[in-house]
Amino acid sequence: MEFFTPFKICGDGLAAQRAKMDVIVSNIANVNTTRTPEGGPYKRKVVVFSTDSVDSSFDSKLKDAVKTVKVDGIEEAAANESVKMMHNPGHPDADERGFVAVPNINIVTEMVDMMLTNRAYEACVTAFDASKNMAVKTLDIGK
Amino acid sequence: MSDISIRNNALQSSTAAGKIKDGSRGGNAEFGTILKSKLNEINQLQLDADQAIANVQLGNSGSIHEAVVALEKADLSFRTMMQVRNKIIEAYQEIMRMQV
Repeated sequence: MEFFTPFKICGDGLAAQRAKMDVIVSNIANVNTTRTPEGGPYKRKVVVFSTDSVDSSFDSKLKDAVKTVKVDGIEEAAANESVKMMHNPGHPDADERGFVAVPNINIVTEMVDMMLTNRAYEACVTAFDASKNMAVKTLDIGK
Repeated sequence: MSDISIRNNALQSSTAAGKIKDGSRGGNAEFGTILKSKLNEINQLQLDADQAIANVQLGNSGSIHEAVVALEKADLSFRTMMQVRNKIIEAYQEIMRMQV
């Protein structure tokens, strides 16, 4: 059914925003993490989205224009920006000069990102409700 | 019921209806067969929604929004089916009320 196309796109949008939220929460939770299995401190992660084609019975013109979203990958921030040195000689991971490599995560940036993600998720839900209302209204024709 | 055949492009473009044998009136599938295949499709959506909810409840690889989307799909297809059913009943009763 054609009315399922917005459902699919909204569902993918919700999944994408949820994935972004997962990554932001991971960044916030690891704001003080100095040890990782790969060695070194935790590095800030960023989600990258890309478009994806929708399989539907649309007209050929609309078929290529309408795109859904998918998570393209979760990438680490650039190496020179991902770590900051903090002077803390008492820390077990401090080097000989007393500096500790900690993740360069700005909690304010993460919180703002989180709010944006939240709003985008809510927008997807609203779009879902609106498209469902359209479909239900269609069924009221002729009543 | 098999005497009634309809011209409905939306129904004929669906996958199941394409395979149905052509009716007597120039390429239209029989209404009863289309209805049956649509019912199967709607039933499948209900089963999908059930499965999605079960996945969420059992905690294996199911996300809430997927389950809700599946439920909404099932809901909408069911409403559409009920609307079709109401129209059929209406038509039937209209015929039964006919003066002979």
